[in-house]
Amino acid sequence: MIPSIKIARKYALSALLIGIFVIMATIPGYIAPYGPSERFGGYQTPSTAHIMGTDDMGRDIFSLLVHAARLSLLIGVVSGVLAIGIGVIVGLLSGWLGGIWDDIFMGLTDTVLILPKIPLIIVMAAYLEPGPKLLIVTLGLLSWESGARVVRAKVLQVRTMGFVLSARCFGFSSAYILSREILPVLFPVIVPKFVLVTASAMIAEASLSFLGLSDPTMISWGVMISDAFTHSGFIRHMWYWWLPPTLCIILGVCAITSIAFLYEGRTRELIQL
Amino acid sequence: MEIQKVKQKYISWSIGLSLLLILLVLGGGNVSASDNESKTLKIATANEIKSPSFLGDYNFELFQTISNSALLQMDENGNIIANLAKSWFASPDHTEWTFVIDDKYQWSDGTPLTPEDVAFTINYRGQLASSGWIGDTLVDTTTTDDSVTFIFNKPYSRLDFEFLSYSTIPKHIWESVSDPEAKTSNGPYVGCGQYYIKSVDVNSATLILEKNPYWKGEEPYYDTIEIHWFSNDNASSFALEKGEVDTYWRYASTYPYAAVSVLEQNNRFDIFQAPSIGFSFLGFNLLKGVGADLEFRKAVSSAINYEELMQITTLGYGSIPTKGFVPPSMPYYQEMPSLIYDPQAAEDILTAAGYIDSDKNGIRETPDGEELLVNLVIRQEYSREGKLVAEYLRDVGIQVNLKVVEVNTWYDLKDNYQYDLTITRTTPWGMLMHANWGTGYFDSRRTGQGVLHTDDNPAYLELCDAILATTDTNLLEMYAQEIQEYYAEYLPGVALYWKQDITPTNKDITGWYSTPFKGILNEISFMRIHPKT
Amino acid sequence: MMPGNPIVHLIGEDIMVTPELVEELTATLGLDKPLHEQFLIFIQNLAAGDLGYSYHLHAPVAELILERLPWTLLLVGTALLIGYSIGVLAGAYAGWQTKQKGAKALTFIGFIISCTPPYLLGLVLFSVFVYHLGWFPFKGLYTTPDLASIMWHMTLPIATLSLFIFARNLLIMRGSVLTEKHQLYPQFARSLGASKGFVLHRHVMKNAILPIITQFAIDFGFILSGALFIEIIFSLNAMGSLMYTAILNHDYPILSGLFLVIAVMAIGANILADVLYGIIDPRIWREMQ
Repeated sequence: MIPSIKIARKYALSALLIGIFVIMATIPGYIAPYGPSERFGGYQTPSTAHIMGTDDMGRDIFSLLVHAARLSLLIGVVSGVLAIGIGVIVGLLSGWLGGIWDDIFMGLTDTVLILPKIPLIIVMAAYLEPGPKLLIVTLGLLSWESGARVVRAKVLQVRTMGFVLSARCFGFSSAYILSREILPVLFPVIVPKFVLVTASAMIAEASLSFLGLSDPTMISWGVMISDAFTHSGFIRHMWYWWLPPTLCIILGVCAITSIAFLYEGRTRELIQL
Repeated sequence: MEIQKVKQKYISWSIGLSLLLILLVLGGGNVSASDNESKTLKIATANEIKSPSFLGDYNFELFQTISNSALLQMDENGNIIANLAKSWFASPDHTEWTFVIDDKYQWSDGTPLTPEDVAFTINYRGQLASSGWIGDTLVDTTTTDDSVTFIFNKPYSRLDFEFLSYSTIPKHIWESVSDPEAKTSNGPYVGCGQYYIKSVDVNSATLILEKNPYWKGEEPYYDTIEIHWFSNDNASSFALEKGEVDTYWRYASTYPYAAVSVLEQNNRFDIFQAPSIGFSFLGFNLLKGVGADLEFRKAVSSAINYEELMQITTLGYGSIPTKGFVPPSMPYYQEMPSLIYDPQAAEDILTAAGYIDSDKNGIRETPDGEELLVNLVIRQEYSREGKLVAEYLRDVGIQVNLKVVEVNTWYDLKDNYQYDLTITRTTPWGMLMHANWGTGYFDSRRTGQGVLHTDDNPAYLELCDAILATTDTNLLEMYAQEIQEYYAEYLPGVALYWKQDITPTNKDITGWYSTPFKGILNEISFMRIHPKT
Repeated sequence: MMPGNPIVHLIGEDIMVTPELVEELTATLGLDKPLHEQFLIFIQNLAAGDLGYSYHLHAPVAELILERLPWTLLLVGTALLIGYSIGVLAGAYAGWQTKQKGAKALTFIGFIISCTPPYLLGLVLFSVFVYHLGWFPFKGLYTTPDLASIMWHMTLPIATLSLFIFARNLLIMRGSVLTEKHQLYPQFARSLGASKGFVLHRHVMKNAILPIITQFAIDFGFILSGALFIEIIFSLNAMGSLMYTAILNHDYPILSGLFLVIAVMAIGANILADVLYGIIDPRIWREMQ
């Protein structure tokens, strides 16, 4: 399929977005005019020295924004990877092995499904030490069940298909079949799940800071937003404090979604059997 | 086409819903429009009442100040003055206290108020957790026509102070209640001050006080006082700016400093400032670890950039404290040497005390050879102070592990001495309680939610006992000086900044009166406030 | 078990107590009994319908929950109804007519809302509609306990919550419809001459709606937590804030009671979902026979 100009433009935009965030996350020092701990006098409105003004401690908001990219994206992506990783393994085993394993795994999935996520996260954050590790582990461990379900459904569907049967005929081991034949088919199904988990992880991080249950020494977009609210940033109409991190979260999720859809575009031919 | 039909349905539904919405907005607004004929004062607060339990809910009790007058109250200078009791005195050994009741105060349901009610109140409170000490020490209560006498099994030189916080409750209502803290009711509650509590509703987040028809004193201007509480500060600030409420009050706290500038531009408010005797301070674990080393504490007190810290946390509505811990607005304040930011001095003291960075990694080692790592354990609300202090200490070679924990964990760690440094606050009451001048926070013999109980130095404890044993003002002045000198020399705690408490008030209302104990929420204030015209 | 001394928070910040008093209180509250004994007492009480007593709020847990449950149902239930119905319809449209501008706009909006932290959007709406426009009140479930006042107070919170549920369901439904669209059966129906709308409603929606039902079952179980931020922003006294303060106060009786309620609701909702599933997808009925 020859990509038209529209699609090429879409790819270029996505690539640009991803590129910007990757740079922000890996080498923030090059883009940010100041360090994350430098202080200049609080509550300054945007000026040439500080294009987004300063926060209550006097830190340059734009610099904070850039430095925050790393942790925010990390929390989002790693939670997603963890959740999808567990989900894929559980789903694969459940669908492939079937029988009692299926029952066990699905029972486990249902239990996790029923657990109310936000209260549990609040409880964990209240009783254990808050911070990025806790967030990643909690969110990863609570979000895998929908991924597991769709993976299992897909495996069940594909298990009886021609190419799998022929592979089994040839005597390939289960592990080989799972990884070479079935895994590629799963991508379009798990990719949207991955995006969902990532987005919800980044938002959960912001929500927890708002409730006062995160590590306030963290520099992340979520903490920036909640700082703005708890230090009168909202009342003082300092939209330049809380709006940029919000946009970053939205665009960050967009960027991750674009990677997903880019990949999906290539494999669409494969699954249209 | 099916799609067209769906679209049409969509459109008609949207129009219908929008109409409903408009009706709601217009109608709702009218339904809830305030009655302009009754004279109503509205107060916003952040102290939420969670349950309509008169004796059980902590925040509910705060608002009983004006409805169920305590025996005594505090004036703007911190002196204890008459309230329900028009005069009072103690026996020479301070085991017997007599209060003469002012007959201005009458119950709002017409029942006459007698000393029996006061006797009942204090004895009843002896059953409650928060005032259990009464149950332990009160041995007898006697009454006459106009007075009541309490007899204790040990001397209390500061009983008048303790009695500031106990609202008086009607005997004829409460004597039949078996579980006082569990009794909930939406009102009305019989009160004896200028006002009584008409209703409390946790669903509408409102507490309403009405004029007490049987009050025999000077009549206050306002017929009704409404207390509105909000779950988040942004909402209360918005309500204040819009003029939905006349003022903002929060126990032992200030209106958020950063939001004051918006009010100043608004031009609808007077910004009422009063020096607070509560403040934030850095506490040390005096019993084990580096906190026990006086030289370490001295070094820390020089390492903090007080000017910057004060500026960031109070936006200029504060001042740099002295080593004496006790702020200027407290009685018998003594000017102690100021706390000075001198990182070089801090480094010199540390080096001289044996904390040397031998491996040149930027972190000093203790004389035992271990890395000088301190645990700074704080609650979320002190994260700014915590971050800054951690940075200042790191700059002089002290490695800080900043642990932010939620409230109950903090109580746990603090009570079990599992920290090196902590940052917390004193409240006005906290500064005055026990033997006054902040001793409640350090005396190791008294536990409590907000106190550190870390100082077991016999000199300190003896001083506290001496204060508790006398009411002689000359002696007290001397003791006050000794306490402040002790603080300056031994530094059990380092005040981080002293502050003003800000109360924004409606420009059109005048007569506000502020006390160190409860700010503008006091009887004198409500007796005096009236519109300027 | 869980960290923290439950007694400490009962007393108050400015109060000092003697260690003896703390011991006395612990004994009165039965907290010095060994854990298994406490648990046994809990189960016994449960059988009698007694969910325990909260010493922080000075009321039986059952009473506390029952007082707030109707408000939570009003807030979350209405929002779920609105969010689901509009979201499903909009999502079906967006998924079916992906090329159209309207569909793209809807998807875009849904995406933006789903990526925004809920409390932020809530505060922005509060700022616009309550502060700037003055259309709605600043706090509370009502001013006076009558229908008009309740409706006036609850409209904005419900609308805010609905917005989130709408956005999320839009995306899920859209994805679901998209997946179904690529199946053989809708294309077959089209090839037989059926109109687009007909195919959408009669065939595709039934299949596409299945994930939504699963989602609804999950949501019903989360009826508490979803509204927590809304309750904080609009100062509403419902189950979300009850749970939040119970967690912070280590109020175990309330927490146990709440989790029990959640579990019951979640199980109930799942059973309902299974039934609905069976009704919509006859294949499942056949499988069961």
